[in-house]
Amino acid sequence: MTRMDNVLGERRTSGVSLEAVSKWFGNVKVLHDIDLDIQSGEFVVFVGPSGCGKSTLLRLIAGLEEVTEGEIRIGGRDVTDADPSNRGIAMVFQTYALYPHMSVAENMGFGLKVAGRPKQEIAGKVAAAADVLRLTDYLDRRPGQLSGGQRQRVAIGRAIVRDPDVFLFDEPLSNLDAELRVEMRIEIARLHQSLGNTMIYVTHDQTEAMTLADKIVVLRGGRIEQVGSPTTLYDDPDNLFVAGFIGSPKMNFLPAEVREGAIRVGGHPLPDPGLAARLAEGTRLQVGIRPEHLRPAEPGEPAMPLTAQFAEFLGGTTYLYGIVGEGLDCVMEVDRSVDTKQGNQLNVTAAPDDIRCFGEDGLRIR
Amino acid sequence: MNAATMDASIRAPARRRGRIRYHRAVFHVTAVLVALLFLAPIFWVVAASFRTKAESGQPPLPPWPSGPFSIDSYLRLENFGQSILHYSGNSLFVAVGTAALTIVVSTLAGYGFSRFNFPLKGLVFLLVLATIMVPFQSILTPLFLLLAKMGLQNTLIGLILIYTTLQLPFSVFMMRNAFDAVPKEIEEAARIDGVKGARMLVQVMGPLVLPGVVTVGLFAFLNAWNEFLAALVLLTDQSKFTLPVLMTAVRSGRFGSIDWGAVQAGVTVMMIPCLILFLILQRSYIRGLTAGAVK
Repeated sequence: MTRMDNVLGERRTSGVSLEAVSKWFGNVKVLHDIDLDIQSGEFVVFVGPSGCGKSTLLRLIAGLEEVTEGEIRIGGRDVTDADPSNRGIAMVFQTYALYPHMSVAENMGFGLKVAGRPKQEIAGKVAAAADVLRLTDYLDRRPGQLSGGQRQRVAIGRAIVRDPDVFLFDEPLSNLDAELRVEMRIEIARLHQSLGNTMIYVTHDQTEAMTLADKIVVLRGGRIEQVGSPTTLYDDPDNLFVAGFIGSPKMNFLPAEVREGAIRVGGHPLPDPGLAARLAEGTRLQVGIRPEHLRPAEPGEPAMPLTAQFAEFLGGTTYLYGIVGEGLDCVMEVDRSVDTKQGNQLNVTAAPDDIRCFGEDGLRIR
Repeated sequence: MNAATMDASIRAPARRRGRIRYHRAVFHVTAVLVALLFLAPIFWVVAASFRTKAESGQPPLPPWPSGPFSIDSYLRLENFGQSILHYSGNSLFVAVGTAALTIVVSTLAGYGFSRFNFPLKGLVFLLVLATIMVPFQSILTPLFLLLAKMGLQNTLIGLILIYTTLQLPFSVFMMRNAFDAVPKEIEEAARIDGVKGARMLVQVMGPLVLPGVVTVGLFAFLNAWNEFLAALVLLTDQSKFTLPVLMTAVRSGRFGSIDWGAVQAGVTVMMIPCLILFLILQRSYIRGLTAGAVK
């Protein structure tokens, strides 16, 4: 029996499913017919720019906002109109939302106390959760006497003690400094491994999404842009938005045109990406190539000229910022052998598989 | 040259320390002077209350004692009407009642204005605040008539109702701000923990708005304790007098002379609960007043 089993008892987790969920705030529709299936035990991350509706979606699942249209099921049970406390969820807030007047132990055990559970059981569960989160020495302190990271651990502990089917995280790391954020990210990943619960995590940070998720849901303007594993979204984005949002530094987008049977950027031909669709002569499109996929071309290869402007040396890699053709900004990852002096010209190209094409409507051309 | 620079480097910090000491001295002297300025009248009153009747009536009254120590003034105060304890009891009942009622009503109203949405919320709140601008002396007559209609004239309960009414606009405003300062997430976390209704107000929000509650309660208590005009108008039965009204009654001695000694004794007695309350609650009180000022 692991330490975690003490906390959770019998392991039981459940999936979440959303059917045509819409949300209106007054006259503004902030979520448009969201359909989503989350498998039991999955770590799902909602990601998107601010105002995309990701937090609202999480709050709908939590029951903190009312669903305007549609249905939410947790573990097969319709919870659309259920009280937040009866949904089998626990939530960790960005601002921690700890009760400032209660000690750490009281904070963690408050939910069980409200539910009228015996004191011994509460103390046992709190102690077990504190053990897992290394909070045992702080149980008597008030939240005000803790550091940011410790407070966030208390908030997570409060969620664990509730023994929920589904954990909800609302940008839990945004208030922490960079170093602590990485540390807590690993801690949350470890927690998911040992608990095995369904977890839904909201963030605007694509790195957090990539590192934590089994499945990423990319949202924009209240609509789901794409759902998939981090590798799927990275390798096979459905549209310009997802392609630009996932990956750091951003994918380069270069306007191109089909002429003489080849895709050309500023007149320079690129290797044939082997599209299933046949593009008519004169079609305008956007070519997307990630910085890490651009490389100096061998003589004779189809390539575009890049004029170096400046370079960022990051130790392992260097990012070279330059201009392709007539003033198109382009970033590429280079190794130290490449001369990154300002004004230096080099021919760059990419493997055919690493070139992604997007139509003028922003959708991927495969 | 070398010696000179060394000298300077040694002297520089010393001079600096000297300046800090000088600032501190100025600060303390100023603080003591201001404190004396405020304490002087209180000392004067207390000192005057412990003099004989003849001496306390002397104009001009020097602040330092010139005659023997005497508790005559307190005895005269005690012998006026019923005992001073009885009148203190009246005042205490009115002040505590006003504070309690004000706290209950303004907490509920503040919670409502802060957290719930209802039609015309903004307008209603504005109207509540606008009543602060009406001088209460101007509505004393209608209030009196209203109480008379309800059969509450010349009762302490009636007085409590009037004081509470006058206290409420400011208190509701205070409490709304106190609730506004509580992050919504804490309430949401409590909802997920299964807290509902009154329990939310008492167990979760209550402790967080406590400084506001203390401020509102203290204001209500002090104002009700010290209020004179409404009490004078509404209370006709001498046994129901509160302390401020008692003071005017005590003042008039025989043949139009004024018994300053008894008045000073009464004022001293009146100060005691205010001082005690304020000293106990000053920390929460200041936190309540500055709540929301700094994030």
